[in-house]
Amino acid sequence: MTDVDTKAATSSTRRHGLAVIDCDVHQYFVDGIQDLFPYVSESWRRRLGIGQSLAWGGNFANTRISLPKDELYINSGGGWRLDSMTDSMPPATDPSFVSRHLLDEYGIERAILLGGHVLGLGAMPNAEMAGVIAGAYNDWMLERWLQEDPRFRGSIVVAPQLPDRAAAEIDRVGDRPGVVQVLLPLATPAMGEPHYYPIYAAAERHGLPIVVHPSGTESIYPLGPKMAQAPTYYVEWHTALTQPHQSNVLSMLCHGVFERFPNLVLVVAEGGFAWAVDLIWRLDKNWSGLRDEVPWVKRVPSDYLFDHVRFTTQPFPEPADPAHLRAICEILQADRTLVFSSDYPHWDFDDPYRALAALPEDTRRRICVDNPRELYGDRLA
Amino acid sequence: MPRVEVCPAEELPPGERRVVRSGGREIAVFNVEGRLYALRDACPHQGARLSAGAIGGTMLPSAPHEYVYGLDGRVIRCPWHKFEFDLETGCSLHDPQRMRVATYGVGIEDGMVVVQTTT
Repeated sequence: MTDVDTKAATSSTRRHGLAVIDCDVHQYFVDGIQDLFPYVSESWRRRLGIGQSLAWGGNFANTRISLPKDELYINSGGGWRLDSMTDSMPPATDPSFVSRHLLDEYGIERAILLGGHVLGLGAMPNAEMAGVIAGAYNDWMLERWLQEDPRFRGSIVVAPQLPDRAAAEIDRVGDRPGVVQVLLPLATPAMGEPHYYPIYAAAERHGLPIVVHPSGTESIYPLGPKMAQAPTYYVEWHTALTQPHQSNVLSMLCHGVFERFPNLVLVVAEGGFAWAVDLIWRLDKNWSGLRDEVPWVKRVPSDYLFDHVRFTTQPFPEPADPAHLRAICEILQADRTLVFSSDYPHWDFDDPYRALAALPEDTRRRICVDNPRELYGDRLA
Repeated sequence: MPRVEVCPAEELPPGERRVVRSGGREIAVFNVEGRLYALRDACPHQGARLSAGAIGGTMLPSAPHEYVYGLDGRVIRCPWHKFEFDLETGCSLHDPQRMRVATYGVGIEDGMVVVQTTT
């Protein structure tokens, strides 16, 4: 494998000069949840098998588990940018490497971390265990990543299985320096359900957006989010990852979540956005005649979406005719609703200067700089 | 004819790759089982370095539910989005008419690997 020449990269920064805010970057444990050793109690170390025998048998049994992931769907090219790792360093496990390889190279001013190993926490059957891992992960992220480079910002994670515990976790770490949002791992109940309201109330109380992201558990684990049908192929499964987000946004709009929590913001990360055109057209039309079923939806439903839902860009659509993409962006008010993301270090990474090239320059600046600043405000300062 | 020397031939054995700069371009040079290939070191999609990509074969077009592996050692796969390119022609496998990466002549002259930089 050829070494990555990170110095050559800075030329793109100078050439383009945007102070990009990257709203979806994944960092990883080096050795699964063994990395959480300093952050869990002795009792939970015993329960999780952390820090015990490193013999092969012990590892195989439990100590190297990460968390639910998409291992039943196989990407033949691997799930990573091949230039993001070395033989001795798995992808996105070394903060200083990520700083050079991503932030310096693309002139990224702020990178918002979403822990790659905790995206699937909502599928874990043991709710207490999910809560313990979430809390330990947050402490690990605060210490291991946010203190390493002032350009990193963090998403604290909570276990959706126990909403009251999740709310307490938001109260515990939600205002720590560098925290910008709450990652809510996808789970089975639709996101408009009252189950989640303690979490939404806590997020609103701290002025933190809720972010959702594909979990790797879709249609694999019983408690993970469901797709329509069970896809056969990775390409089919990956394409279908937008489905749970459509259902969740629809659920939140119909339940009046944004009437109940008028300052709540939902960020749909890597969940697509073009589907929202069809969703709001259908919902607005249906609501015109059926609003008496959901009378708490006081405004035309799409109004709530434009005011309360934001979408990250990656993987940005690449239609044959870029005019079609510009039309979608106009319908969805991309000048307000889209925020740039690269998804580093995953295989479907988007370069901020290449991926959005079909859009007008002022729209690109809104998406890469202004919209993220409006979304996260002083927490980016 | 413009040419650029890459390295002594013994420093590019089978399985190895080198990147050489020529003018404003970077060119990736590969030795695949004794065959030399030279390509522009930038994927035409989003510019990733093909020199960080994996070389192998691919699944040939086939009937539904049948896998036929072929072109072993002829295909380089972009390290980011996994687009595949034919090392011989530079053509992408998914859209060969419209997406291709520049290729260059490459050979050994007086013990040196040399790339012809006009295509």
